[in-house]
Amino acid sequence: MDNKGWSLKAGSLLFLLLLLSDLLLCKSVASLPICPSGAVNCQVSLRDLFDRAVILSHYIHNLSSEMFNEFDKRYAQGRGFITKAINSCHTSSLPTPEDKEQAQQIHHEDLLNVILRVLRSWNDPLYHLVTEVRGLHEAPDAILSRAIEIEEQNRRLLEGMEKIVHQVHPGVRENEVYSVWSGLPSLQMADEDSRLFAFYNLLHCLRRDSHKIDSYLKLLKCRIVYDSNC
Amino acid sequence: MHLWWTVAIMNLAGTFQVPAQASPKSGRTFSPCADSSGKPKFTKCRSPELETFSCHWTDGVRRGFKSPGSTQLFYIRRSTQEWTQEWKECPDYVSAGENSCYFNSSYTSIWIPYCIKLTSNGGTVDQKCFSVEEIVQPDPPIGLNWTLLNISLTGIHADIQVRWEPPPNADVQKGWIVLEYELQYKEVNESQWKTMDPVLSTSVPVYSLRLDKEYEVRVRSRQRNSEKYGEFSEVLYVTLPQMSPFACEEDFQFPWFLITIFGIFGLTMILFLFIFSKQQRIKMLILPPVPVPKIKGIDPDLLKEGKLEEVNTILAIHDNYKPEFYNDDSWVEFIELDIDDPDEKTEGSDTDRLLSNDHEKSLNILGAKDDDSGRTSCYEPDILETDFNASDVCDGTSEVAQPQRLKGEVDLLCLDQKNQNNSPSTDATPTTQQPSVILAKENKPRPLLTSGTESTHQAAHTQLSNPSSLANIDFYAQVSDITPAGSVVLSPGQKNKAGISPCDMHPEAVSLCQANFIMDNAYFCEADAKKCIAVAPHVEAESRVEPNFNQEDIYITTESLTTTAGQSGTAERAPGSEMPVPDYTSIHIVQSPQGLVLNATALPLPDKEFLSSCGYVSTDQLNKIMP
Repeated sequence: MDNKGWSLKAGSLLFLLLLLSDLLLCKSVASLPICPSGAVNCQVSLRDLFDRAVILSHYIHNLSSEMFNEFDKRYAQGRGFITKAINSCHTSSLPTPEDKEQAQQIHHEDLLNVILRVLRSWNDPLYHLVTEVRGLHEAPDAILSRAIEIEEQNRRLLEGMEKIVHQVHPGVRENEVYSVWSGLPSLQMADEDSRLFAFYNLLHCLRRDSHKIDSYLKLLKCRIVYDSNC
Repeated sequence: MHLWWTVAIMNLAGTFQVPAQASPKSGRTFSPCADSSGKPKFTKCRSPELETFSCHWTDGVRRGFKSPGSTQLFYIRRSTQEWTQEWKECPDYVSAGENSCYFNSSYTSIWIPYCIKLTSNGGTVDQKCFSVEEIVQPDPPIGLNWTLLNISLTGIHADIQVRWEPPPNADVQKGWIVLEYELQYKEVNESQWKTMDPVLSTSVPVYSLRLDKEYEVRVRSRQRNSEKYGEFSEVLYVTLPQMSPFACEEDFQFPWFLITIFGIFGLTMILFLFIFSKQQRIKMLILPPVPVPKIKGIDPDLLKEGKLEEVNTILAIHDNYKPEFYNDDSWVEFIELDIDDPDEKTEGSDTDRLLSNDHEKSLNILGAKDDDSGRTSCYEPDILETDFNASDVCDGTSEVAQPQRLKGEVDLLCLDQKNQNNSPSTDATPTTQQPSVILAKENKPRPLLTSGTESTHQAAHTQLSNPSSLANIDFYAQVSDITPAGSVVLSPGQKNKAGISPCDMHPEAVSLCQANFIMDNAYFCEADAKKCIAVAPHVEAESRVEPNFNQEDIYITTESLTTTAGQSGTAERAPGSEMPVPDYTSIHIVQSPQGLVLNATALPLPDKEFLSSCGYVSTDQLNKIMP
């Protein structure tokens, strides 16, 4: 019948339009060059590596800020955690530049190593954070999903940083130094207050360290890639 | 050391004046509790570029009352390795303005917790802890300017590009801090600012500004991951060039008119497509076909043309019309009205006429004498009504004479049939057909074959009303069935209505069988007939009706299907008791296809079981069964 034929035509036309639009959209998205897995000679430029690293670090810092705010809103109201959260983070033992001058004075290789150390130090805590957050009483999904995402992105950032280090300092392999996290027992304490404070502290430290890494990387990017002229 | 620090923390909560212990460095005496409403408080601490920060506080409401001790700020920060438990005083009370403390870059460490406290006369009035990266609020951008991008063809609108510089103290070049900006603009006389999305770059296009208006533009910035914006920059005034005099005066109006026209056009096209594609269906919707009178299986044109013979044949073929014979009661009423005077009936009965030697009379009668024309029965169906006087009912000679007389003229059931039986030929058939046609015309428009039945029925009912009168016996026979061939099967009633004229009946045989019949049943089943056969085997009927009667016979009684014995039996009955067995009874209920329930007339109710196999049950019988 005419109607059937017409509707079929219309449907196929619509489908074509959709397809075209999808292709166009895909094209418009900035696609970073990707090394196919297994390729040996693939060489992504340092610029792209740093771009990606900065994007990742920025993203991680965003997530950890949001996670901290969520936790603060949900669990820490009226408990006065903020006053107590001046505790040391486990990464405080690592020597890191504390202001701009120090960061500028440090050599970029050392700075890269610092970044690597911090990133490595967070592998273990993030892993445990994900498992322990599930045990929180009425843990909101926002916190859990972000924890999972942060853990994954942190691993990816670490890989990216190792690639950068390999490009910047080929051949240099420092022994993996990182600060050990021993806060797991505190996350599993029976006392609700103590446990929540442990979480609060951990999230606070995470936010701080992600910001640190983000700042260091941006500094490095401008210094290395753009020659201090971002 | 830690003890002091703990004490400092404990002092943080609440606004009361807690008699706290003064810091070790401070030599001030402990001051009494001050009025809670007027004590200084921190308003905000801010770092514009992540290198320095400053804190501000309010002085408290203290009009005309100068506290002896000025407000002091102390800070403490945790260095990387150890706690600096000593509270240090603010290094710079001046640079950031009044009631502020400025920490320059040497005092600033990022990612390190700070705690500051405000003291007044030695007493802590307020305390706060933070990290520097949490309090970043950049300065406003500077150097706003704009450039014209283009002017629209209509000369009414224009696009501009606004540029600015990041705040000078923010080190974006080295990437230490990354800023994003938000632009707002509005017309000069408007009150509401229009906000654009945040951008990372330091220039942004603003589209669609009217040429004859003046605009204000301002920009503010914030650190990329933060939530708090810095202050707004100075307002930039955008004065666009005046509209050229040749530009269109009218603003662009939405072309409603064009859209309406095109919309209607498009809709019309769609409608037409729809209509043409579904023409047939729409036609059906709008003009539904009017049902015309139709006879199933019969072409209406045939009826119109008047080819009645053909139609008759067709109708005869169809069995469907048989039930119709019994459904119509109107002719019953019609007949009943007719019977007013039995005497009159007696006089004018067809039977008499037929029996008498009055040719003309009979002819007339049969033709059109009676008003209730259509009575074309030939047989005397009502043995009931007659006294079974052989002379009256079945005057053999007379009856025989009659049919012979009326052979070719009138459609008498029995007569014709007799003739046919005698001489099975197709000659009679058309003759038979014709009268029925005549009858049909006089009657209501119905299947033609039924007309014969009608007439017989009519006659029968007239007879019924006068059961006692022999003279009322007319030559009517109840048509009980119609064979597929088109022959009519008559119910014999008391007499045989087989293709033999009643005259052929032998009265002796009639009476014999009669007693066995169910009296109040005008319709005799074959079973009954068979009984009669046994009773009066001798049949001297002239016209013997073979079991396989002539197909050309129009009228066949049920008995004819079996034997003629019954016929003779019925004739015999005449002189016997007056048993008014009506051959015709009005139909009470039609229980097709099972049978009919007939009205009982004035009949003796023999206590016999009615023959259920007959299918015909009179009302009385029914009443007997069902109380």
